[in-house]
Amino acid sequence: MNMTWSWLLVTSLCSILILAGLLFGNGALLALAVPYLLFSLIPFWRNLKEPILAIERSVEPSSVQGGQPCRMTVFIENRGDDLEEVFLADALPPGLKAEESFAYHGGLRCGQSKTLVGVLRGVRGKYEFSGFKLLQHDLLGMCQREAFVSAPATLAVLPALERVERLRISPRRTRIYTGSIRSRESGAGVEFFGTRPYVSGDPMRHLNWKAGARWDLLITNLFEQERVADVGIVLDARKAVEVRANGESLFEHSVRAAASLADYFLSQGNRVGLLIYGRMMEWTFPGYGQAQRARVLVSLAKAELGEHAVFSELEHLPTCLFPSESQIVLVSPLLRRDVPMLRYLRAVGYRVLVISPDWIAFEKSLLPPGTFTDLAERIARMEREALFSKLRRAHVNVVEWDVTTPLHVSMKQGIAGGKRWFLG
Amino acid sequence: MVPWVKRLSALASSVLLFAFVLYGYSGIALVVGTLNLLWIVNERWARRSYSFLRSWILVLNTAFAAYGIWSGGPPLLALFLAGSSLLAWNGGLFLERWSDPPVAVQYLYLRRIGILLALGLSAGVSALALQGSFRLPFFAALLVLLASGMLWLRLISKAIRRSDSG
Repeated sequence: MNMTWSWLLVTSLCSILILAGLLFGNGALLALAVPYLLFSLIPFWRNLKEPILAIERSVEPSSVQGGQPCRMTVFIENRGDDLEEVFLADALPPGLKAEESFAYHGGLRCGQSKTLVGVLRGVRGKYEFSGFKLLQHDLLGMCQREAFVSAPATLAVLPALERVERLRISPRRTRIYTGSIRSRESGAGVEFFGTRPYVSGDPMRHLNWKAGARWDLLITNLFEQERVADVGIVLDARKAVEVRANGESLFEHSVRAAASLADYFLSQGNRVGLLIYGRMMEWTFPGYGQAQRARVLVSLAKAELGEHAVFSELEHLPTCLFPSESQIVLVSPLLRRDVPMLRYLRAVGYRVLVISPDWIAFEKSLLPPGTFTDLAERIARMEREALFSKLRRAHVNVVEWDVTTPLHVSMKQGIAGGKRWFLG
Repeated sequence: MVPWVKRLSALASSVLLFAFVLYGYSGIALVVGTLNLLWIVNERWARRSYSFLRSWILVLNTAFAAYGIWSGGPPLLALFLAGSSLLAWNGGLFLERWSDPPVAVQYLYLRRIGILLALGLSAGVSALALQGSFRLPFFAALLVLLASGMLWLRLISKAIRRSDSG
């Protein structure tokens, strides 16, 4: 229990009056001190009992897309003595906003309960609620007691997802399960793969009559098997690649792209893993399905920019995490010094697709329009084109994404340009 | 209810300060009394400066009451000035925490501060009467003293009972 400033003020006045009365031998001054004395004795008369509160917090749903509301319910129950005046305040983690205040001020009798309900909205992130700060007062405001009541809960605000259409990849190695990725092996499928002479047991409907007529023997059509593949998504979270403009972060767009691609590849039945490469490496082990989708999105919700001497270069990307000859998707604005590592990945057999948010267009909005800005943009564009050209020569597929347009539009432009990554 | 108690007690402080004028304290009493009135009039000021003013007014009123007694002024008037100042100050403190207090809480608060002030003032009055600071028949002073003593004993025993049961 602590005394308040008000108690200190009254006690000081009381002490001064008593001292003055004793000093001047004035009994009336001592009599004047009596009301102040009673005020300063209140904390000893009405001792504040330790509050015993049970607070339960529930957040539904526990994960939402960015900007979507979620409902938080807080149930407060007094399991101790009567409390004349308590102030309970929930310190919301930064980034979350409540439409209603999650605070309670008032009395709580023994066994009495209160329920606070409100709507929360937030930006991308994983939020841990700790508890409530409790401030207990006596009614005259002479003493108070501070406490903390634990009420843990977790809320994940997931990155917003974009539509991704018809993105076809062709890693050298696929897995055994049926999926949508061409496996470069003949078998059951729908895409034409080749022909061979008929052998006993081949289905009659696969006979290629035209080829048979030409070669005067029975020819069977072969189809390419379509299977699922391993896809490793690498999100570049190095501070060096970050650009902020008008309070908006380019990294947020990268996260959005990574989330959309992960969602797309998982919906196609592929095995997807996620590596966030920044201050440290956060690895989400590859997996399939909805559970893996939730894991990846929560991991992306937590993604933050970071800086580390070891991870400042892409060359420490741990290739052992990704199955050999699988597909790697790097989401990064790209630095010039990243080229060797991407070439290396391609050289050791990985198929590499780079989704590169266009930082030049993003940053241009910050600068005043003029000749110098245009010139600077042209130079930066030329450098970036040279970088892309180096990568394309090394058979690394690059998609430049203007973040003001939807991701699938950039993908479509890639299709129009006949990019190899799409053609497979 | 509490806002009006606070306003009335602040007004009472002003009136008591102006009453000091009758005893020859014209200058300081008028200034401090006017400050008390200004406090009532401007209670819609920003909360921080308002709470700062509230504490300063209590200090000023107490200082003036002590000065009044020390310089041979009417001690009873000074004691009631201290009582009304404490009531107004604590009422302001209560209203700062409770923007819209429930009626039950207001009653509880008023009962508690009422007992406290009644006890303090009666003890002070009886002490002054016994010192002969003003004319009160001895038996009346003894009665007031006994009443306040009984109230005090009751409160003490209640507090002891509560602490034992806790």
